[in-house]
Amino acid sequence: MAEDQATAAMETTTVEKQPEMTETPSVTTTKRIMVAIDESDSSFYVLQWVIDHFSSLLATTLAEGGLLTVIHVQSPFQHFTAFPAGPGSATVYASSSMIEAVKKSQQKASAALLSRALQMCRAKQIRTETLVLEGDAKDMICQAVEQMHVDLLAVGSRGLGKIKRAFLGSVSDYCAHHAKCPILIVKPPKETH
Amino acid sequence: MEETKERKIVVAVDESEESMEALSWSLDNLFPYGSNNTLILLYVKPPLPVYSSIDAAGFIVTGDPVAALNKYEHELVESVMARSQTVYQDFESDINIERRVGRGDAKEVICNAVQKLRADMLVIGTHDYGFFKRALLGSVSEYCAKRVKCPVIIVKKKAQNN
Repeated sequence: MAEDQATAAMETTTVEKQPEMTETPSVTTTKRIMVAIDESDSSFYVLQWVIDHFSSLLATTLAEGGLLTVIHVQSPFQHFTAFPAGPGSATVYASSSMIEAVKKSQQKASAALLSRALQMCRAKQIRTETLVLEGDAKDMICQAVEQMHVDLLAVGSRGLGKIKRAFLGSVSDYCAHHAKCPILIVKPPKETH
Repeated sequence: MEETKERKIVVAVDESEESMEALSWSLDNLFPYGSNNTLILLYVKPPLPVYSSIDAAGFIVTGDPVAALNKYEHELVESVMARSQTVYQDFESDINIERRVGRGDAKEVICNAVQKLRADMLVIGTHDYGFFKRALLGSVSEYCAKRVKCPVIIVKKKAQNN
């Protein structure tokens, strides 16, 4: 009877239905999905999109489900700055207390970002882990993908460089070219359409 | 509580091995059990060279070369579709599959099709044209990733798994 319905459903655009199997397909390996987060809203949109679409795969209720890794890369703090201060521009070295202060505020900022991300994940019961790295965002993300054997990397399209043209931001573009795994590019929805 | 929202996923296929890998990847990952998603296989035929009835040498091109070209094209489409079929036929669960064939410049046709079909996602492989060891994006996948409004998944050739 299922086959009659299938043939009846076949129309001009050759729609095919596969015969239904009884068992659920077993998840053989743990799927690892990595989402790159920064301060921009579009990266959180990406996270929400991944949560919505892959919730069945990443749910904590599954015994061997997937794992969502939220990664945040802090830009390295330059320990010195050069001020063009008059005739003899001197290189000013930041004092150690200043370094501590900036590091603390950076850590606070990334902790806030990650807790926001974790909140979004916990709302949908997603198995999540977070990762904070320091360095150049594009290199660190690609390295992390390689070392952690990520199955899918999700990036936004524009992030911090908000140029109003339809092209990829520099980090997304670099990752799309160099990451060793399949890459998912999520564009933010246009507000004015 | 699962929401079975119906999603349209376009997978662009061509004669390459990478696009078959993109197809099998999307079957593995984007069609969990119980989902209502539709897979749309899109194959773009290269544009036909325009034949005028009288070519430069002054000979009238008869119907035979054109017919032969059409037949070759038809066979190409069939072979790509057959290869895709072997990929999805092994797949267990219940999914809807539509096949569409376009003609013309691949990147333009893919972008237009995604827009017209209002697809929710595009999956595309990439040819490894790079001279360097690192995989570069092929021009079609890069163009489509930048142009289309919906999320794009670019599947690259698997590096050697250790």
